[in-house]
Amino acid sequence: MIVFKTFLKVLNKNKFIVILYSAILIFFGAFNMQTSDSSQSFVSSKPDVLIVNQDEDKGITHNLIQYMEKHSKKIKVEKEEEAINDALFYRDINYVIYIPKNYREDFLSGKNPQMNIKSTGDYQASLAEMLLERYLNVASTYQKVISEEEKLIEKMNETLSKKVDIEVTSKLDMNNLQRASYYYSFANYSILAGCVYIICLVLASFLEENVKKRTVISSMKEKEFNRKLLLSNGLFAFVLWLLYAVVSFFLVGDIMFTAHGICYLINSFLFCFCALTLAFLIGNLIHNKNAINGIVNVVALGSSFLCGAFVPAEFLPDFVLKIAHLLPSYYYINSNELIQKIEVISLDTMQPVILNMIILLLFSILFSILANFFSNRKRKVG
Amino acid sequence: MFTHNFKYTLKILFKNKMLIFWTFAFPIILGTFFQMAFSDIEKNEKLDIIDIAIVNNQEFKDNTIYRESFKALSDKESENRLFSIQYVTEEKAQNLLSDDKIIGYFLLKDDNPKVVVGTSDINQTILKFVVEEISSKLEIMRNVANLKIEEEKKNMPLGDMGNYNSLYASVYGQVMEMSKENNTNIKNISSNHLSYTMIEFYTLIAMACLYSGILSMFAMNQSLANMTTTGKRMAVSPTSKGKIILSSVLASYLTSLIGIFLLFLYTIFVLHVDYGNQILYIILLAFAGSLAGLSLGVVTSCCFKVSDNTKTGIIISITMLGCFLSGMMGITMKYIVDKNIPIVNKLNPANMITDGFYSLYYYDTLDRFFFNFFSLLVFATILIVISIFYLRRQKYDSI
Repeated sequence: MIVFKTFLKVLNKNKFIVILYSAILIFFGAFNMQTSDSSQSFVSSKPDVLIVNQDEDKGITHNLIQYMEKHSKKIKVEKEEEAINDALFYRDINYVIYIPKNYREDFLSGKNPQMNIKSTGDYQASLAEMLLERYLNVASTYQKVISEEEKLIEKMNETLSKKVDIEVTSKLDMNNLQRASYYYSFANYSILAGCVYIICLVLASFLEENVKKRTVISSMKEKEFNRKLLLSNGLFAFVLWLLYAVVSFFLVGDIMFTAHGICYLINSFLFCFCALTLAFLIGNLIHNKNAINGIVNVVALGSSFLCGAFVPAEFLPDFVLKIAHLLPSYYYINSNELIQKIEVISLDTMQPVILNMIILLLFSILFSILANFFSNRKRKVG
Repeated sequence: MFTHNFKYTLKILFKNKMLIFWTFAFPIILGTFFQMAFSDIEKNEKLDIIDIAIVNNQEFKDNTIYRESFKALSDKESENRLFSIQYVTEEKAQNLLSDDKIIGYFLLKDDNPKVVVGTSDINQTILKFVVEEISSKLEIMRNVANLKIEEEKKNMPLGDMGNYNSLYASVYGQVMEMSKENNTNIKNISSNHLSYTMIEFYTLIAMACLYSGILSMFAMNQSLANMTTTGKRMAVSPTSKGKIILSSVLASYLTSLIGIFLLFLYTIFVLHVDYGNQILYIILLAFAGSLAGLSLGVVTSCCFKVSDNTKTGIIISITMLGCFLSGMMGITMKYIVDKNIPIVNKLNPANMITDGFYSLYYYDTLDRFFFNFFSLLVFATILIVISIFYLRRQKYDSI
C-alpha cells in the first residue's frame, strides 16, 4: 500500500499535466464534431465560392450568380480585397469570381468578356472552375443562336439543371466512423504524452538515489516492490484509457456501441499497454526529471506527427511512412484507419487489424525486455 | 564590469543544457516534424487523376459523345487529364468499387446515364459533374441544331424542300464544331504565394522568438537577490545595478539571436521554407520578435515573485497560447481569431511575428508588415518600462 500511496502522491503533484493532455484531446475531439451530415443519399461536395459582382445584378449576370450559389457554399467575407486575399490564403474560400463591369451587355453583344478569378488550386477550386466553365460554355453556345435574353436564360437553365442518376453503394456511417477514427488517432498523442510523462516522473522519484537506497535496505522484497510499482503504473494507464474511452462515448456517439466501436476500444487498450511498457523503458533509462520533459515531448510529438495522428497518414510523404513503420504508433493509427473502412466486422476482414495488434504486443514485449535489462544493470547502488 | 558580466552570462547560458535544448534544439526538431507531416498536404490537395470504371456495354460503344468525351478526359498525353479509366463489365465494376480500386463507375443503359459511387465525396462529385456535363452537351447540340434548322427553314424558299438533307448535314457539322470550342475567357489573378503550411513555420519562428524569454529570465535571475545567491552577492556589491542588468539582458538577447539565426538557416536551407524575398525586413522582424520575447522574460522575472520553474511555466504557457492563437496547432485558428476577434491577435506577440512573416510572404505592400513590426516594438517597450518600475530601488530587509 505504501508504494501505491507514494505513487498517488507523485501523481497528485503532476495532475496538471494529465489534465492538460486530456483537455487537448477533448478540445480537438470536439473541434472535429462540426460536420455530421450522415445521409445515405449522394451529397455533392460544394466548393466555397465568393462572387464579386462589378456589374448590375440582373439578367444573365444575375443568372450566373444564382447558378454558382446553387452549386457552392456561400461564404461571408468582407468585400475588401485584403479580407478576400486572407480568406483565400486560409482556404475559407476556394474560388473568387470577379464579374467585370458591363459584363451583361458585352456578353449579349457577342463579345467574350474576360472574367478574372482567384483560385487556391485545390480540389474544391478545380470543381468551382469546372462549374464556371460549364456555365460560360453553355451560355456562349446558346448566345450564338438565341438573341433574346429571357429565352436564352430559360434554355440555359433547362440544360444546366439536367441531372444524372447517382447511386451510393456504401451503407457505412462514414461521418461518425471518421470522427471516431480521428478521435482515437489523436488520442495517440494524449496517451503517449500523458502515460509516458507521468510514469517516467514516478519512476524518477522512486529511483532517486536516496530513496532507492532506503527501499533497497527496507524489509520489503525487491520483487514485491517492483510488482506493486508495476501494478500502480498499470492501474494509472488503465484509468487513463478508461477516461478517454468514456469521453469518446460522449464525443463520438452511437458508433461506439457498435462492433466498430469495440474494435476502437480494444485497439486503444492495446496501445495504452504498449505506451506503459515504453514509459517503463524510458523511465529506466533516464532519471533526470528535467530531461524527461524534453524527451516525452520529442517522443510523443514525433510519433504523432510521423505516424499520422495529426495529419492523416494518406497525406504523409512515403519516406515518412517508411520511418513510421519503426514506431508502435503507426500500427495503432493504421488499425484505426482500417477499422473505419471495414463494412462488416468478421475474423476475415479484421485480419490486417489483428496483425497490427500482434505487432503492438510484440513492441510491448520488446520494450519490457529492454526495460528489465536496463533496470537490472542499474540495480547495484554504490 | 559590463563586459565581464556580459561574458559570464553568455557562458552560463550556453552551458545550461536544458535552456539550450528548449530554445535552440526544440524549434528545430519541431520544424523537422512539421516538414515531414505537412510537406505533401498541399500536393495532395491538387486535383489528381481519378480512378473510375466504365461499363463497356454495346450502348456505350455506340454512343460517340460519351465515348469520345471520356476518351479525351483520360488521354494520357493531355494536360487536362482527369480520369484513369478501366473499361469493364458491370460485375467487374462492382467488384472494383467494393475493393476500393475505383471511386465509382459509369453505366449507360436504355439511354439513361447512371453513376454508381461508394461514398459522397469530392472525387465522386467531379465524376457526377462530368457525366452531367456530357449529357447536357448532348442536349445543347440537339437544341442548337433544332434552332438553327428552324432559322434556316424560314430563310429557305418554299419549294426548296429537297435540300433538307444537306441542310441537316451542314448544321450538324457546325454544331459539332461549336461543342468542341472552349468559349471561356477566364484569367487567374491569384498570387503564387498561396502555400498556407508556411504559417506553421512562421509560428515556429514566433515560438523560438518568444522562448528567448526563458533565456532572459534565467539571466535576470542571476542578478535578482530574491532568486539566486549570485543575485544576493551582486546586490551587496558596489557595482551599478543598471549595468549588470543591461549586460545580462544583452547577453541573453545575443544568445537568442544566435538561436534564431540557426533556426532560419535550418528552415531556409534544409526545410526550404519560403519567407519571401525581402531579407532586410525578415531580419528586422526577427530582431523585433526576439526583443518582444526578451521583454516578456524580463517582466516575468521581476514582476512575479515565484520560483524559477513557475516563471518558466508562465513564459511557456504564454508562448504556447500565443502560438496556438496564431495557428501553430491548426492554421485555421489564426484565421478564425483574425476574422472574429481581431483585437486578441492584435495584442498577441506570437501573432505579430507570424502575421509579419505572412504579410511579407503573401502581400506586395508593406503596410501590414510595418503595423506588426511597430506593434512588436511597442509591446516590448511597454513590458520593459514596467520592469524598470519594478526593479528600481528594490530593497530587502530580509530574504
